[in-house]
Amino acid sequence: MQKPYFFKLNSLVLLVLASLFFQSCNPDEEQTVTNFTNLSFEDDFNGNGTVDAATWSFDMGVGTAASGAGWGNNELQHYTDRPENIKVEGGMLHITAHKESFMGAGYTSGRINTAGKIEQAYGRFEARIKLPWGQGIWPAFWMLGNDIDEVGWPNCGEIDIMEYRGQNPTIMLGSVHGPGYSGGESEGKSYELTNDRFDTDFHVFGIEWGPEYINYYVDNVLYNQITPADVDGNWVFDHPFYIILNLAVGGNFVGSPNENTVFPQTMLVDYVRVYSLSE
Amino acid sequence: MKKNIILKSNLLLLLGFVLLFSNCEREIEKDLKKATYSKDGTVFIDGFSAGLEYFPFGDSYFTAFTVDEETKYAGTASMRFDVPNVGDPNGAYAGAIFPDNGGRDLSGYDALTFWAKSTTAATINDIGFGQDFGENKYQVTLSALKLTTNWRQYTIALPDASKLTREKGLFWYAEGPENGNGYTFWIDELQFEKLGTIAQPRPAIQEGEEVTINTFLGVENTITGLQQTLNLGNGLDQTLSLTPAYFEFSSSNPAVATVNAAGEITSVSTGTAVITAKLNGVAAAGSVTVVVTGDFTPAPTPTQDPANVISIFSDAYTNQPVDYYNGFWAPFQTTVGGDNININNDNIISYSELNFVGIQFAVDQPTINVSSMTHFHIDVQAREELQAGDFLTIRLVDAGSDNTLGTGDDSSAEITLDNTDLANETWYSADVPFSDLGALTSRSNLAQIIFVSDATITSVYIDNIYFYNNGGSGPMGPTQAAPTPTRAAADVISVYSDAYTDIAGSDINPNWGQATMVTEVLIGGSNTLRYAGLDYQGLQLGSAQDLTSMEFLHVDYWTANSSALNMFLISGNTAEQAKALAVPTSGWASIDIPLSDFPSVDLADIIQLKTDGNGDIYLDNIYFYKQGGGGGTTPTSAAPTPTRPDADVISIYSDAYTNVAGSNLNPNWGQMTTVSEPQIAGNTTLLYTGLNYQGLELGTAQDVTGMEFLHIDYWTANSTALNAFLISGNTTEVPKALSVPTSGWASVDIPLSDFSPVDLADIIQFKFDGNGDIYLDNIYFYKTGGTGGLPALPLDFEDGSNPMIAFDGGATSAVISNPDPMGNPSSNVLQFVKAAGSEWYSGVVFDETLLTTPLIDLANGTVFTIKIWSPTAGVSVRMQLEGGASPAYEVFQTVNTANQWVTLTYDFTSQVNASDTYPKFAIFPDFDFSNQVPVATEAIYYIDDITQQ
Repeated sequence: MQKPYFFKLNSLVLLVLASLFFQSCNPDEEQTVTNFTNLSFEDDFNGNGTVDAATWSFDMGVGTAASGAGWGNNELQHYTDRPENIKVEGGMLHITAHKESFMGAGYTSGRINTAGKIEQAYGRFEARIKLPWGQGIWPAFWMLGNDIDEVGWPNCGEIDIMEYRGQNPTIMLGSVHGPGYSGGESEGKSYELTNDRFDTDFHVFGIEWGPEYINYYVDNVLYNQITPADVDGNWVFDHPFYIILNLAVGGNFVGSPNENTVFPQTMLVDYVRVYSLSE
Repeated sequence: MKKNIILKSNLLLLLGFVLLFSNCEREIEKDLKKATYSKDGTVFIDGFSAGLEYFPFGDSYFTAFTVDEETKYAGTASMRFDVPNVGDPNGAYAGAIFPDNGGRDLSGYDALTFWAKSTTAATINDIGFGQDFGENKYQVTLSALKLTTNWRQYTIALPDASKLTREKGLFWYAEGPENGNGYTFWIDELQFEKLGTIAQPRPAIQEGEEVTINTFLGVENTITGLQQTLNLGNGLDQTLSLTPAYFEFSSSNPAVATVNAAGEITSVSTGTAVITAKLNGVAAAGSVTVVVTGDFTPAPTPTQDPANVISIFSDAYTNQPVDYYNGFWAPFQTTVGGDNININNDNIISYSELNFVGIQFAVDQPTINVSSMTHFHIDVQAREELQAGDFLTIRLVDAGSDNTLGTGDDSSAEITLDNTDLANETWYSADVPFSDLGALTSRSNLAQIIFVSDATITSVYIDNIYFYNNGGSGPMGPTQAAPTPTRAAADVISVYSDAYTDIAGSDINPNWGQATMVTEVLIGGSNTLRYAGLDYQGLQLGSAQDLTSMEFLHVDYWTANSSALNMFLISGNTAEQAKALAVPTSGWASIDIPLSDFPSVDLADIIQLKTDGNGDIYLDNIYFYKQGGGGGTTPTSAAPTPTRPDADVISIYSDAYTNVAGSNLNPNWGQMTTVSEPQIAGNTTLLYTGLNYQGLELGTAQDVTGMEFLHIDYWTANSTALNAFLISGNTTEVPKALSVPTSGWASVDIPLSDFSPVDLADIIQFKFDGNGDIYLDNIYFYKTGGTGGLPALPLDFEDGSNPMIAFDGGATSAVISNPDPMGNPSSNVLQFVKAAGSEWYSGVVFDETLLTTPLIDLANGTVFTIKIWSPTAGVSVRMQLEGGASPAYEVFQTVNTANQWVTLTYDFTSQVNASDTYPKFAIFPDFDFSNQVPVATEAIYYIDDITQQ
């Protein structure tokens, strides 16, 4: 997520593989589609207060030395660890963007990651999220390769499980970045809900990631598969990645909020689950 | 379209279905009441859906709608709408409703969708649903829907589908020509749908604003700006205008204000209540804070015959059309409001945040010829407590013979009301004869009425703005003030008079059940009591008065139409006694009624006055008095307060200036005169009683060679001879005879040249001789800066004369009415026309021949300011001090903003010698030193308020 995006929509065919799924009284389990059945990590956000420090670290401020201000994308928010921006309450993770003047920034929000704490190669990664909305609102559920400090970005690899523009409340995107296919050259696809939108209820965003493939799905719809043949460079998705959840405001991907953007805006995360290959 | 009857059988079928298949655990009767309506969402697919009807608006172009089988988006037909041209005699717009009068249950849908295109890019004025030519209960309006020449799909969200269980109005629209031209648009596949992509409801009342209404008991106000904003699936917000039925309103304090389902707020007691609303459980943005301040008294109903009236704003007359009641003159006007208040069907202009504001009738509407009228009337009510210094100036502006504002022949005149005229929540009626508005040199092209308060008064109500002719049959009201009383305040107990301090706390309009309409009106500068339609009228004194030491009741009264008028005194023992007054009057009548004429009342305890009779009565100067020791030997008012600047004055005896220190007011020169210093109306005054002669020894000898006049105010009722002497150190003395006796205060300005050969460089004493009792005040020497009444800084051009000479090569200057009152409420300004062909260095220079002494004494300040209005930004304006013994000095400033008044400051401090004087200065607008070529295109600048600081 460090450069402007431009997606190559190389296939408009949505693979609605309903026949693969079995019905269950618990809709959360509808996504059991492969043999990634061993629950290796789960955060149900059942506590009250802040996120579990054993799992999550805060990204703070307006960027890093490596990314520069605006987190590499001219984003407008200042990330904090204040409960106004990130809290766990009512069984949910709340990441909230406020319009407020804070240390020179016009907005505040939150971003957390599992680097050095929860890292895994391959598996099924999913989260159940109710998204915020409005021009300039940019939430994401994504991953970076844990060797980023050694090899840098994009050689470390980036898997965007979900990102979304608040001004397109029915459309989300999933993609990968790697050497030769990062930023505007990334490989991915968008998925549009019919007769529904992402900001009115929870949806499950996930990938099934194995050697040689990454499958993308929303709820019970598998909408894309990316394989080494799809990318214009080395396949860099065979080492452990860590998870990031954030809510950006403004930036190259979404543009700035306008006078119609309602603040505050909250991304509600019901859970994050990671499965590994069954024994 | 014929009424469709299929619907009825559908309904019957539905009912039958319910009976047959309802759940046996429920009671059938309850289900019977739940008759449901057609859930058909289609309106027009390829023809009218079942039950749909079509009714054009009554004044619209009736044949606008047809079914088009050639142009369509899909299927076999579309709806075609032919919008007429401007002024089409068959109807100037297209508009219709498409109801299903059986009603449909739309609660399962969330949008009305359709495909549309037009022959030209167009904006549909209003489109929506919920109009049924009945209650229109759940009407939805989407305004300004833009169409293109290609088929596109449009969505109108349902603001709250749960309300629409039996909706008749399925579609409506109203559209006028585009840029005056008719065109055609098509709508197809018009239907209600469940999209599932419409979310984020944000209802609002008052368009989301938190407004405050100051209102009165029993007055109804209506909540406006009812909206629902929803986010469509494409991420764009859509804001719809709604009817009140979508909302639930509530009052924070129903004891103060209630609100009904229609959003109508009724104030029921004094206090504050906040009205808020919800739509489908979601709190609406915006609120109405209702501040109920008690009963409202409307302005007096005008009584002038409509045949003799030209009205601008009054419910009593037919009003002339205006461009606006508030021009929102940017950028300096803060005033909001206009003809926006209706209290019990009484329309009132309300201005708030007032600094200045204008009513105009000059551009979109014709100017108004009021030359046949004799008076200007206006009713004004302050809506706040006032302090000294608060004022409201009301200015009439005539566009002049060219009937165009802003040109050189405009004229204007004004009246100013202050805190002695206006009072909080009290109507003040001004009836101003045009004879008092002499500066309005024409009134045949009246164009503006401007109100200026400079924010001293920020909230006013205005009503009954009209002009009238008081008719050939005699004036309807006095045009002049009642005679000013002359009795000493010490001899008076005043009930109602501007000349005295009235008994505090009196109520001029106690409610005794009378029909009389009481107002205070300003006549000739004097507050006057007006009883219109008198039957009887009380006046409750603020405190009981002991009049046993008084001898007379004085009343000035005026009436043209009364045939009976009695004045009563009433004492605390409820005894009252009347005195008949002769009516009608010819002009003001004054009567002095001996208090012995009221033997029945207890003069030690007078609590009320009463008037009865009929007609319209004007009253003033109601007071009790005693004749004192002969009467009229004491001034009742202070001498006029001097207005000359301190710098131009050497003062001997005046409260207005610093006097020469150490003077002896009563040197012992063997005179018989008694000297005292009584307070006259709060002003220390010198009194010579039994004058034979009297000296006044200055604390130090004065050099008055720089002065031009000796000013003296004096008052005497009994002197027959009075001389004033100046005496110089060489013992030369010269007398000047003063005219006696005086009628009130007399002011004399004696040229010092009249005292030759007294040595004006060494004045040591004054002397007066003559006889009688003499009051003296404001004895001072002064210079005019000229030969009397001539210009001095600041130059504001308000007297209409032009002291500035334009130069060179055809540039001209003139004093004109201020063409742009925004940012400079001044009446008159200097116009400088930098004509084509005039010199690049052309400008205006002060005409030094007007003065005998230098205009500018730098001892009074070395910083000057100029207000200037330039047609272009970025021009350099040079100011130069010139013509003096020292060199000329210049300062440059730049006008940064075009087409508005700006103030430029010229600081000469670093250049000049503060002891120098200059007879003139020059201003060079657009002093283009870098090019130095003659002016190519005429440019007009306006200049005003040149000050020295």
